[in-house]
Amino acid sequence: MSHPQRRERIVSEAEAASWVSDGMTIAIGEPGPMAVIRQLVRRGVKDLTVVGSGVALDLLIAAGCVRKTVAYYVGGGAGGAVAPSFRRAAEAGDIEVWECEEGIVAAGLRAAAQGLPFLPWRGGLGTSLPDVNPDLKLMTDPIRGETLIAVPAIEVDVAFLHAAHADAYGNVQHIGGPGWLDLFLYRAADRCAVQVEKVLSNEDIRANPGATTIAGVDGVIRAPWGAHPFYSRGYYVQDRAFTRRYVDAATTAAQAGDRGPLDTFLRTYCIEPETHADYLERVGVRQLIALHEY
Amino acid sequence: MSDNPADEDILAQPVTRQEVMAAFLANDIEDGEILQVGAAMPVGEVAVRLAHFSHGPNMELIFIGSRMNVAHLHTLPTPEFGWDRRTVRWAESYWDTGHRFDRVKDWGNRVFFIGGVQVDPHGNTNLIGVGTDHRHLRFRGPGSVGTSTLSTLVGRYYIVLNSHSARTFVPRCDYVSAFGWGEGDPEARRRLGLPGGGPKYCVTPLCVMDFTEDTKHLRLRSLHPGVSVDEVVANTGFELVIPPGEIPTTPIPDPEQLRILRTRADERGALRR
Repeated sequence: MSHPQRRERIVSEAEAASWVSDGMTIAIGEPGPMAVIRQLVRRGVKDLTVVGSGVALDLLIAAGCVRKTVAYYVGGGAGGAVAPSFRRAAEAGDIEVWECEEGIVAAGLRAAAQGLPFLPWRGGLGTSLPDVNPDLKLMTDPIRGETLIAVPAIEVDVAFLHAAHADAYGNVQHIGGPGWLDLFLYRAADRCAVQVEKVLSNEDIRANPGATTIAGVDGVIRAPWGAHPFYSRGYYVQDRAFTRRYVDAATTAAQAGDRGPLDTFLRTYCIEPETHADYLERVGVRQLIALHEY
Repeated sequence: MSDNPADEDILAQPVTRQEVMAAFLANDIEDGEILQVGAAMPVGEVAVRLAHFSHGPNMELIFIGSRMNVAHLHTLPTPEFGWDRRTVRWAESYWDTGHRFDRVKDWGNRVFFIGGVQVDPHGNTNLIGVGTDHRHLRFRGPGSVGTSTLSTLVGRYYIVLNSHSARTFVPRCDYVSAFGWGEGDPEARRRLGLPGGGPKYCVTPLCVMDFTEDTKHLRLRSLHPGVSVDEVVANTGFELVIPPGEIPTTPIPDPEQLRILRTRADERGALRR
């Protein structure tokens, strides 16, 4: 007689990306879960609302996947003050910017995680945020009578994160702590898939259960170098020259109106490589080894 | 005396304006305070290191989520780029491990540094963008980051800018992402229910400004060496309060402070470029 077997949760990056359909709300963690993001570009997903930040978000905008951003900071990544595709699309009105701030986003994600319609937040009182984002409502606190901001729940269909390790059952162990708002994103999302540098044995996880940062995610993606060109704590540093190439191409598209270099970049690194492994072959083993320190 | 003869060459170089800014800020920070610096703020990065190494063994430093005390170390390298998360090497804890914004009630002991695309006479700052139509901004800024919440809660903050121009110092911000003193009312923050102490100084490559007590209007406090009142006025897009009499010069670091600044707080020379 055979035992019933515990179900493993290993999925490919393409399978995880297939959880997303046009018009959904996705969240992308820090560092960027780039193996999945490239698959989303490759599939040509449209009209996404993206809770995210930085150059990873910018790439999705450049590829035309995004209708709305929930981003408190879209910095330039490689020297510029503002990421180029985000800046152009926002100025042109091609994307809707749900104007927000880090504490406000955290409150909205927490509300979603707790199944609440909103949570109150103080940060942002007196600012323009409730004026330019009508979803943020000024409210009178019924307990003490203070004026606060009601932040609506930021409900996420799928969250994608990148971490150092997980076992096949979705027990995630980070090195150097979960990124930024990652745990908020996980908690707010209906489903969550985590790319990992290495899949550990269940015994290795059990050896140190206190190190488990997220228990039981829905999908574990085997993705060594999966955050490239960003860093992965414990494994590799940021590939700044590669990021620079993207930023330069996107800046040419945004400021000179020439999408040639950007389309070449997207085709070469996101669309033509079918799998994460195909992408890594294009980046090249020498380049990857040069980054392999932390 | 330095162990490294090459230090003598570094110490002989003229003091830069960014170093004057960092030294001024360092001198205003007290031991025991918690200092938080966001990404891409080199003057703030160096200022807190300088304060920590010179007179702040009980300071806590927070850089993009890594909290640390490194008073026992000789140096703490400045980041190579804005979002250089390798600061985790020195962290004693990560305050982003799932409990960000969960214990904000003690942020009264926290000091923060804030930048802006626009700054108005009352220290309200804007990182959202420039233009009258929010759906079609003339310049889309990077976003408010955490500044709306931090400016609400921290004990005090400094507005620190990389340039001083009439484009930045405007009579009215197109948008406000961090509330300073509103319309210039010392009671404005209390009335809104903001527990934090608000902006204390605005520090630029030209000068240091504080706020008048009664109208919370930016006032020239000191000029960096070689800068004139006229130069500041010409590059400020509103009427700055100029106190009567001679305007003091922002002090340059003394030799010991400069040694700590260049050999320990800013070994990489981020402020000498």
